[in-house]
Amino acid sequence: MNWSMIWQLFVQTLDASTPLLLAATGEIIGESAGIANIGLEGIMLISAFTAVYADSAFASPLLGVLAGLATGLLLGVVHGYISAYMKGNQIITGTGVNLFAAGFVAYSIIAFFHVAGYYTIDLSLTVPKIYGVSPIAISSLVIAVLAYYLLFKTQIGLAIRACGENPEAADSVGVRVELVQTLTSSIAGLLTGLAGAFLSIDWNASITKQMSAGRGFIALATVNFANWNPLLGIAGSFLFGFFWVLGEWIKSIGWLKQLIPVDLFNTIPYLATLVVVAGLIGRSRPPKYVGVPYKRE
Amino acid sequence: MKVYPDGTVALRGVDFHLRKGEIHGLLGENGAGKTTLMKILAGVLKPTRGVIEVNGRRVVFTSPSDALKLGIGMVAQYPALVPVFTASENIFLGLSRRMVSRERLVKLMNETGLKVELDAVAESLPMGVRQKIEVLKMLYRGVRVLILDEPTTNLTPVETEELFATLKKLRDQGVSIVFISHKLKEVLSITDRITVLRRGVVAGVVETSRTNPEELAKLMVGREVLFEIKKKPVKPGGEVLAVEDLWVRGDSGEWAVRGVSLAVRKGEIFGVAGVEGNGQKELVEAVTGLRRVEKGRVVFLGRDVTNRGPQELYKLGLSHIPEDRVAMGLIVNMSIIENAILGLHWSREFVNSFGVFKNKRIVEHALKLVKEYEIVAGNLNSPARSLSGGNQQRLVLARELSKNPSLIVAANPTRGLDVASTEYIRRKLVDLRDQGKAILLVSADLDEILELSDRIAVMYEGRFMGVLDSKEADVRLIGLMMGGYTLEQARGMRGVENA
Repeated sequence: MNWSMIWQLFVQTLDASTPLLLAATGEIIGESAGIANIGLEGIMLISAFTAVYADSAFASPLLGVLAGLATGLLLGVVHGYISAYMKGNQIITGTGVNLFAAGFVAYSIIAFFHVAGYYTIDLSLTVPKIYGVSPIAISSLVIAVLAYYLLFKTQIGLAIRACGENPEAADSVGVRVELVQTLTSSIAGLLTGLAGAFLSIDWNASITKQMSAGRGFIALATVNFANWNPLLGIAGSFLFGFFWVLGEWIKSIGWLKQLIPVDLFNTIPYLATLVVVAGLIGRSRPPKYVGVPYKRE
Repeated sequence: MKVYPDGTVALRGVDFHLRKGEIHGLLGENGAGKTTLMKILAGVLKPTRGVIEVNGRRVVFTSPSDALKLGIGMVAQYPALVPVFTASENIFLGLSRRMVSRERLVKLMNETGLKVELDAVAESLPMGVRQKIEVLKMLYRGVRVLILDEPTTNLTPVETEELFATLKKLRDQGVSIVFISHKLKEVLSITDRITVLRRGVVAGVVETSRTNPEELAKLMVGREVLFEIKKKPVKPGGEVLAVEDLWVRGDSGEWAVRGVSLAVRKGEIFGVAGVEGNGQKELVEAVTGLRRVEKGRVVFLGRDVTNRGPQELYKLGLSHIPEDRVAMGLIVNMSIIENAILGLHWSREFVNSFGVFKNKRIVEHALKLVKEYEIVAGNLNSPARSLSGGNQQRLVLARELSKNPSLIVAANPTRGLDVASTEYIRRKLVDLRDQGKAILLVSADLDEILELSDRIAVMYEGRFMGVLDSKEADVRLIGLMMGGYTLEQARGMRGVENA
């Protein structure tokens, strides 16, 4: 193994970890304020589609990324508003987005691109690389560090975390709990939208109806792994991203492929996630009021 | 005035005046409206009618932070801190960056003598320290009116003394303090003036230096007790339940019951009075097998049943009418029929040899209970939730008694019920006593205790302050014991008055 191989392995792992890290960072911020969003998977998928659509319509990767961001933001705002102000059940909203996404994207690929299930864009329409590395991938790391700083080093972060740990205490000192929750949920949506755009118009140069492939859920596992700390989120998404690369790599070994069906290798990242998360049970500590709507007495 | 959404009137026409730089005691029994009144002043609750004035200006609060801005802060009975935050994080929460200054905080701590470790995580600290943090949080924001709700409930005696010293210091610095309590001794030792609330109205406002425990107890408890229910003279039989030196822990690990002994005999009602939160709940749970007994014994019908599970106790003939019928007595989303056989659902009477319910028998059983106990219910298949509170309680009672128990443990059995259901349930309990059942009645409702019991124990801070016969029981004596005086001390005070 030489340096270029190691560099390549790093870039591949970075790519695989980017959507996980972006969504997980957003979700850490959201859950810190008490709003859980299990609809990350769906947000990622819809944003991946809208990014491809805007990208090919205007022949502009920048507009593609903006479309992905806007889609995620919108879904995040809606989820936040329903959860915080309307005291809705967060599991139901999240599940709704996931179910909607699966139908919407499969249908829209046919409706807008006139192909079934799979649409490829020209490489010239993907987000330009810097020294072979995606700028979105780099920004995911920067965003995670900033998120850590925001949550743990500022008065705003203190207020955010108070909303998730004891909203009553936050309310009693004038923190506007519902507003904070809606905003953090919006950030979670925004970053997940970026993750979606990265999947389609950066990493893969295509959109498929199963583009997100469970990454939204693995991001939720990453949040747990990170114990709601964005810096540990970097480690977690690299770990899970690495399993992804590992699965792909093993698949490419010819003699092994003939021995064992390839579908079995596809399960590697998911099985690894399951094992890691099972090992974490009882060790991580979620914000106390995550998922519980705050109602003033 | 304050009316709760369920129609409960918590306060009616209460006037309350707080002067600058005084410690004002707010005294009253459970449900007297003390906390409700203060929550209104702190912006937590909105009054249904009435006016709040601060320094002569009319104000309307929509949230606790509104009150805080005007310098009114309330420290709840269980401090509302963020458990995973450090002391300083809790104090600085919600402030803008400009206002955060550790130096100022340290200075404040030195001035007031409220010293806490600023980098310790709140949940790792004892209650007394958490309370200090809460007070500091208020003072740091410039609060001039400090409301403390039962602040000594979770404190050790040493912590209480410290708190009192601090409060006096703050008062001398011009802070006005409202001290909510039901403990006569504490109110007498720390306050300048006292307002006594009883059932949502002001029973009296007195200068602390010109009053005595006697008068306060009288004001607090009132004397409108009517012995409406006719009881046959007590004919107690053999001992059914014996509790010996019982020690039980509360939810947060503190000792809630500290060495209680009692015996309930056949054909008598043994009443346990006391202000809520003095270990009654834990006592009931320990006796009914729901909470671990740390030390001591529970003997039921001559058998040692300490730390046996509830099901075993039920099979031996114990029935429990729990304090909270919605959370414990019923499964409110299940039908009335299903609720009627809860706890009997394994009995061969209702289940055939394949483990399937005998529907006809079950419906018959439910119908019988509904008829016998005059439960007003539309459809027996509708959820128990649809019944009114009184009918829910009748259903619990009916079911528990259909098990033909030899001991009935009833905790606040008529709480929140209308007059008719209250009378019905009290009468039923007396009937059962006359039939020779043993009854342990635990209630915060003093009238209920006095009306029904043959012997009365008063519980205070996990101990019995004394056990007395219903014939010699009177409101003043029990009121004093509820406030923390032992039976002997209370008798002594009456002696002085008579002489």
